[in-house]
Amino acid sequence: MEQQRRKDWILFGSLWAVFSTVGFYLVLGIDLLPSQWAHEAEVVDDAYILLMGLSIPIFAGIAAVLLTSLIRFRVKVDGIPTEDGPPVQTNRNFVRLWVAATLSLALMITVNPGFIGIAELRGEPSADIVVEVQSQRWSWKVNYENGAETFNQLYLPANKRVRFDITSLDLVHSFWIPAFRVKIDAVPGRVTHLYVTPDRVGSFEDDFNLRVQCAEICGLGHAQMAMPVSVLAPTDFDAWVSDLAEGA
Amino acid sequence: MRQLLRAVIFGILGYLVGALLTWLVRGGSLSDEVCVVFGYVVGLIGWLFGIGMGDTWIREWFGLPARESEVSGWKRYLGFSTDHKVIGVQYLATFIVVMLLGGIAALILRFELAQAGEGILNADRYNQVMSMHGILMVAVAVAAILGSFGNYLVPIMIGADDMAFPRLNAVTFWLIPPVAIGLLAAPTLGSFDSGWTAYPPLSVVNNGGQILFVLAVTTFGLSSILGGLNVITTVVTMRAPGMTWGRLPIFVWAAFAASMISLLTTQFFAASLVLIAMDRVAGTVFFNGAAGGDPLLYQHLFWFYSHPAVYVMVLPGFGVVLETITHMSRKPLFAYKAVVVSLLTIAGLSVIVWAHHMFTSGMAEYLHGPFMFATEMISVPTGVIFLSAVATLWRGKLWMKTPLFFAMTWVFQFLMGGVTGIFLADVVTDVSLHDSYFVVAHFHYTIMGGMIFAFLTGIFFWFPKITGRMINDRLGIIFALWLTIGFQLTFLPQFWLGTNGMNRRIADYPEQLEGANLFSTVAAFCLGASFLLLVYILLTGARRGPKAGNNPWNASTLEWHVSSPPPEHNFSGQPTVVGHPYRYGTAGSRHAEFAGMTAVEQIPPEQTGTGEGGDYE
Repeated sequence: MEQQRRKDWILFGSLWAVFSTVGFYLVLGIDLLPSQWAHEAEVVDDAYILLMGLSIPIFAGIAAVLLTSLIRFRVKVDGIPTEDGPPVQTNRNFVRLWVAATLSLALMITVNPGFIGIAELRGEPSADIVVEVQSQRWSWKVNYENGAETFNQLYLPANKRVRFDITSLDLVHSFWIPAFRVKIDAVPGRVTHLYVTPDRVGSFEDDFNLRVQCAEICGLGHAQMAMPVSVLAPTDFDAWVSDLAEGA
Repeated sequence: MRQLLRAVIFGILGYLVGALLTWLVRGGSLSDEVCVVFGYVVGLIGWLFGIGMGDTWIREWFGLPARESEVSGWKRYLGFSTDHKVIGVQYLATFIVVMLLGGIAALILRFELAQAGEGILNADRYNQVMSMHGILMVAVAVAAILGSFGNYLVPIMIGADDMAFPRLNAVTFWLIPPVAIGLLAAPTLGSFDSGWTAYPPLSVVNNGGQILFVLAVTTFGLSSILGGLNVITTVVTMRAPGMTWGRLPIFVWAAFAASMISLLTTQFFAASLVLIAMDRVAGTVFFNGAAGGDPLLYQHLFWFYSHPAVYVMVLPGFGVVLETITHMSRKPLFAYKAVVVSLLTIAGLSVIVWAHHMFTSGMAEYLHGPFMFATEMISVPTGVIFLSAVATLWRGKLWMKTPLFFAMTWVFQFLMGGVTGIFLADVVTDVSLHDSYFVVAHFHYTIMGGMIFAFLTGIFFWFPKITGRMINDRLGIIFALWLTIGFQLTFLPQFWLGTNGMNRRIADYPEQLEGANLFSTVAAFCLGASFLLLVYILLTGARRGPKAGNNPWNASTLEWHVSSPPPEHNFSGQPTVVGHPYRYGTAGSRHAEFAGMTAVEQIPPEQTGTGEGGDYE
């Protein structure tokens, strides 16, 4: 009997170890996330990986109990079952321990990546340049500080903190740049803000996730409501934006 | 049949009267939305009058004796029956059909998404089919378990002869067909394309089908509220002698907690939809930003119901699964009291987490932290549910029949949904993942995994009770495996798609994402095909399955101590509850006594079928 019980735990422990290892390998060993093109993307991805790292052993643990139960505790029943399992109704200390563990885990992730992550992602409400974005079914209009304007194209300087002031003329849209991992809705009657610091030079041709994609359903052209993003070196950006302003 | 025909005629007449009167008063066109609104309301009243309210309540209001329906046999299912078991089966059949319809819509969507670029659907049509899929499946998720098993089982499990308000119960069910008709008639007015969430301003400015969505879903909300009221009153007032709160079967507790949420929060959704109707037809500007309204107002009202609604969907699922696990592993439900406290805690917490759907909506940033905190806290009571499930299985005598197999896959699926939910509760990761396919995958794991899998667990567990026959267990397990594997292959790639830049509700996507989409589509068709097997299993089981006897699972709760299917009014006398329902393994323990009950005879074990042998061999 005692030996049988030990076997249950050994099987559970080995399955847990195997599942966790496989899980860690699959999720962390294989590059599941797309390339990062902004400081914010690093913050978000770090949070993602931390949460993954915490989830895998929990997930593996429950899966291991299920499989152990399936292997060790199934019985063959002839007709209807008459033999019962042990009359364990509860184990108060174990329930307390479980609640304490889940509660501390929940509190822990509320602090980090929760509150700490939010502070890191938001940073100070100050920006090197301000870019105004106006959305309308199903296009984007972008205004830069010196009067330059682009339509369905977004140019940004690398390594500068950009504040977007986002508005909508008609419906709720959402300003999402997958390569930067950030989004904020464009809401009629409001100005919403988003801070981003692109940290690499590149364009839509390098990575299709360097695009602004509308992420809130807005009718017919919703899927196509996207514009390519180009991140330029700061000097190139300055030259580009002043050329454009003069041309206008 | 006569009632149904009368209801249809009165419904159509009512619609015409309402619409024509409105048209006479204000002119314009008969298909104007305001005519549709008044037509629908009068038509709904006509429908309810025709289906049976006229024969019962309204006659009594005027001092006339009520005319009760006298049909018997299968015709009861097509009329105004006040028998909770008939209503339970009506819900069951209706929502299996709606689930299959929603599933067909899903396959159409996946077919379109198999390749980048435009395929069989243009973008408009895609949005319409997507919205229809969404609202049909949400309706299934809200009402399928609570409506069918809630009605069928709660009264029997607590030793009552019916629900507290049998006529109200019938009305609750008969409000559903107008919902279905309203939604399916939407294409006549240009359909609706704003998803099941119907965010304004889109839902104020889009095609006229949206008004039918608003009317139908408001009606559905009314049905939910009345149903919740009935379950709560039944549990509070109709319990058999000795059925203390501490002896309630766990499914009854779960249905009770879910009904509390339905009763107390559904109004907010209805109110927000009424505001949309006002904006559309009465010229108000509640959600018009340019005129001083606020689109975010809708989102707050909407999620104040629609997040708790998730728990209306899954709490009864918890109940079904825990019930199945404890009976079929023949062990007491682990930590019964802690589970009850958790169910009620979840119901309580569910109303203070709604704004986690709005981290990127532009709402004030100081709200993000508190809502994130409240949301993370829900993982604690949910963790207790998981503990109870796996600790009950541990060292049990697992009888691996189809219901237990499904219950165990449920634990896996819902765990996946719960764990990925953490990523969406956390503000930092949600800013990236919100409105992406990660969300789509997550809520299919929680709702399809957590609710539909529990629904299927319940169907297989109580099938013998409802039909009196057993299903083919071997096919049942094949179905469970097929569905589970198809499900993983369909939705796991969608997590990846979400993190890699695919947003939800789109007919087209960057071609770099084609591979994973094609994979998901092929798997979705594999998943969809498994439901043909389900239909086959259920139909052949109901027609030719071996007789089940009263208690094929040798389970302890009251529903297993009446015949299969149970007689009218359930018990021939009054059962007395003398002990806890789940005292497996304790010699001599009893849940209830049936002294003086003669009409229902206990069938000795050797006469009960078990799914082996019978017509299948």
